[in-house]
Amino acid sequence: MAENFLEIKDLVIEYTSDESVVHAVNGVSLSLKKGQTLGLVGETGAGKTTIAKSIMRILPDPPSRFVGGTITVDGTDIMSLHEREMLKIRGNKIAMIFQDPMTALNPLMPVGKQILEVVQLHNDFSYKEAVQHTCNMLEMVGIPAVRSVEYPHQFSGGMKQRIVIAMALACNPELLLADEPTTALDVTVQAQVLEMIKDLQKKLDTSMLLITHDLGVVAETCDEVAVIYAGQIMECGSKEDLFLRTAHPYTLGLFGSLPKLDDDSKRLSPIKGLPPDPTKEIVGCAFAPRCPRADEACRKCSIELTELSPGHLVRCIHSGKEES
Amino acid sequence: MALIEVEHLKKYFKVASGMNHAVDDVSFKIEKGHTMGVVGESGCGKSTLGRTIIRLHDATSGIVRLNGEDITYASGKRLRKLREHVSIVFQDPYSSLNPRFSVEETIKEPLEESHRFSRKQLNERTEELMEMVGIEERLRLAYPHEMDGGRRQRVGIARAIALEPEFIVCDEPVSALDVSIQAQVLNLLMDMQDKLGLTYMFVTHDLSVVRHIADEISVMYLGQLVETGPTKEIFKEPRHPYTKALLSAIPSIDILHPMQRVQLMGEITSAINPKPGCRFAPRCLFATEACNQPQQLEEIGTDHFVSCCRLSEI
Repeated sequence: MAENFLEIKDLVIEYTSDESVVHAVNGVSLSLKKGQTLGLVGETGAGKTTIAKSIMRILPDPPSRFVGGTITVDGTDIMSLHEREMLKIRGNKIAMIFQDPMTALNPLMPVGKQILEVVQLHNDFSYKEAVQHTCNMLEMVGIPAVRSVEYPHQFSGGMKQRIVIAMALACNPELLLADEPTTALDVTVQAQVLEMIKDLQKKLDTSMLLITHDLGVVAETCDEVAVIYAGQIMECGSKEDLFLRTAHPYTLGLFGSLPKLDDDSKRLSPIKGLPPDPTKEIVGCAFAPRCPRADEACRKCSIELTELSPGHLVRCIHSGKEES
Repeated sequence: MALIEVEHLKKYFKVASGMNHAVDDVSFKIEKGHTMGVVGESGCGKSTLGRTIIRLHDATSGIVRLNGEDITYASGKRLRKLREHVSIVFQDPYSSLNPRFSVEETIKEPLEESHRFSRKQLNERTEELMEMVGIEERLRLAYPHEMDGGRRQRVGIARAIALEPEFIVCDEPVSALDVSIQAQVLNLLMDMQDKLGLTYMFVTHDLSVVRHIADEISVMYLGQLVETGPTKEIFKEPRHPYTKALLSAIPSIDILHPMQRVQLMGEITSAINPKPGCRFAPRCLFATEACNQPQQLEEIGTDHFVSCCRLSEI
């Protein structure tokens, strides 16, 4: 089996402000193999985007603070790199697709030029070659090269997202961080964009970290899944583990909250309550206050990830003991 | 009798490049106590339709009836009275609440405007409404910025049902919320419907939500209805090519039975100065010459209408 291309170990990141400390990421470990897709699922404020941005090393410090842990990409410890070396990797070896295509592009620059910038920065192309490469990238995502002189506002939402994708893929990155790449799009366009990302990923053998809150998108694109809650991994494993042998009450709650297309039950079974306040230190299980299975033991001591079956990790002392 | 009847409703907006046919000749009925789901992609006119029905926009032409009474051109006192019977829950709980109003003030405002309540009744009713939608008493004086999205949306719902309206337009009420909170709010809306006998028009782009909550569905494309009918029937056997594509585009969480996808080409265009004929034709896999002719909704089953001239062939 191939080495893990991306390896995150015990990552801890905080945001500090005058009054409080926000514990955004609390000891997250993830791994991703070459050419595979890892889905990172969670609600708003769970720390998904913070993880992606810390891999790119684009979190502003302050207010964010890297407290501990390691991030290794292809054998290189990202966190120990000098900014000058990081510049060579960012956008080249690791690229990111941002959530909102409307704000990820510079409104005052033709889209072709924005892609050209990336291409010229990371390659030794002549100007002519760089332009040719830019045109090829646009064509690859289904945008006629003649439109490269147009500005972002002249494109629709779906096309803008495709341009952002073209930009991210311009230097054949080995690791693609896709932060909710389709959330801002309509379903029919989402289907097109996902299909395209999958195709390109196969063609270029890129590893992808896909951040989303949509379990449907995960089901269709990912090999591995990690469910994150309050900055901690609650459950991770293969897609089959997560969808067919769901173990953690939070993951079960997420599934219960989804209206099913083929289910006639009149009411959904949502998760009660709200996500915890991230400025408070977590004692015991972070999910305990909302969990139907929680008891004294859950609230007292911290819960470790335990292996249910090879590769299927769960942070719950109750799962595995009883079958639900 | 149907609570809401919409006949040949049109709403055009004048824009720099011509006329935007946001809602173009839409007709349907909503039975009392039912939920009509209106689905379509962004820009198809579904929000405009909802807002035109409850008179937040003035219709260009056509008729809207509430309980058999024509309300399309009501004005003055009659319009004020009408406002007590129809209501709306907005999409964005962040911008639809006045940031300088506390929870109490927000819920009280419509009650005060109706001039039907004494001060004591006002307080009682506010309390009752807060309890109904599940907002804790301690948040009575809280301001929107102190609450999360789910609670804000609950305040929006409390405000909408304050005067016991008969008809509520829910304009994407859960699309800005996280799934776990989304389910809570959907359940609340359904509880309110059971308790108060409300009739909903549920505007959304999320088909799984509509499948869950709606009795009937109308599918819109660029201002026009392409298909309307009972939810079950449409989900079981969608007839219009657009409905088929839309339904198959929903990412499914069933990893054992991946769905066969109808991949559409291109994107939704705009309804500015549209040509006669089927507006979906440029993206349709089955389009022919005949599709350039104006299309009619045809009844193909009980209350099931489809607007496609090639229906029998595909």
